[in-house]
Amino acid sequence: MHSDQEQKLREKIGRMLADGLQTQTEPFPENDTQFGQLLTQLRDIDAKDLKAKLVLSGFTNSPYGEDRMRCQECMYYLVHRKWCDLPELALPVEPDWWCRLWRI
Amino acid sequence: MANLLWLQGGACSGNTMSFLNAEEPSACDLVTDFGINILWHPSLGVELGDNLQKLLRDCVSGAIALDIFVFEGTVVNAPNGTGEWNRFAGRPMKQWVKELSAAAGYTVAIGDCATWGGIPATAPNPSDSQGLQFLKRAQGGFLGAGYKSKAGLPVINVPGCPAHPDWISQIVVAVATGRGGDLALDDLQRPKTFFQSFTQTGCTRNMHFAYKVSATEFGQRKGCLFYDLGCRGPMTHSPCNRILWNRQSSKTRAGMPCMGCTEPEFPFFDLAPGTVFKTQTVMGVPKDLPKGVDKKGYIALTGAAKNAAPKWAEEDLFVV
Repeated sequence: MHSDQEQKLREKIGRMLADGLQTQTEPFPENDTQFGQLLTQLRDIDAKDLKAKLVLSGFTNSPYGEDRMRCQECMYYLVHRKWCDLPELALPVEPDWWCRLWRI
Repeated sequence: MANLLWLQGGACSGNTMSFLNAEEPSACDLVTDFGINILWHPSLGVELGDNLQKLLRDCVSGAIALDIFVFEGTVVNAPNGTGEWNRFAGRPMKQWVKELSAAAGYTVAIGDCATWGGIPATAPNPSDSQGLQFLKRAQGGFLGAGYKSKAGLPVINVPGCPAHPDWISQIVVAVATGRGGDLALDDLQRPKTFFQSFTQTGCTRNMHFAYKVSATEFGQRKGCLFYDLGCRGPMTHSPCNRILWNRQSSKTRAGMPCMGCTEPEFPFFDLAPGTVFKTQTVMGVPKDLPKGVDKKGYIALTGAAKNAAPKWAEEDLFVV
């Protein structure tokens, strides 16, 4: 994906979240078993079904929780590309967003 | 001339295969250049049956000086403490181990099984296996915590699954040439010359570790394997990235996570499904942090590192 395409997709996701898309932010996967289950569910989703991906992974367009968790500190976040490198997501994101696949 | 006897207990022969691939020095160099007389080895020994039993009895009695006793594999105690599941040369192997260890100038445990019990001693440990002087991290093992060889050293532990060939041959040469007393051992009786540093020491992915860029799939040419793929390099004591395997590479250099096989807890998490090649986390934070780093420091470091990460760190570094 070219950077301009990524930017368009990033803006599209931003609009969906700003328009009030309800996503499943809870429960946060407390351990790897739960994390793995979530990944399995994500793999079962059609890779082109953006909305389903966002909903299941619990995307928010702002930092989350008391600890203000956000993409910027997440292990899967590529800072310069502004990209989530988790293969099951593989989406352009903003540093202040968050999802429940967050890992540090 | 130093006499060396090598026996195998509950073992897969992996350390023997590793040893026979040694290069500096090689197994042949041990004989020709360092004057080591290999009395018997499972893959090299020619004595069989009564002749082998006589050789072993002579080692026990002192008729043949046993300078170095090398043991590979676990001491098998099943069933019911008899050791009958692992018979060798006419009786349970554990009886030979007990008597030969008492007669040996130096006793060297090679590989995880002989050092801490390794995979056979993983719960539920059906073979009732022990390492020579440890069972996992608990000191004691088959010979007991107080055991010392005639040279005054405890069992010299050379762990690994398998141990690197050069770790084996260099330790054997050290004791055979009278430098056993120079060996500094750590709390787990591992030679510090090999096991003071970490697997991560010398890893070519250290830049990605520093900038918190994660590899998310095996064999990727970028990213650190610690964050997502269960690499134990930052917590494991071994020289795998200083003394390379086949003089070429290491697991982490090739894009495979370190499994921590030189530590007593290997295999970690008792091989429970989902624990191998996956960093175990609690609420998104790794359960096992790099040695000496606490959770608060780790989170602070991550934030700073991510902010400072250069663009190249996100791209393939090792291209062909």
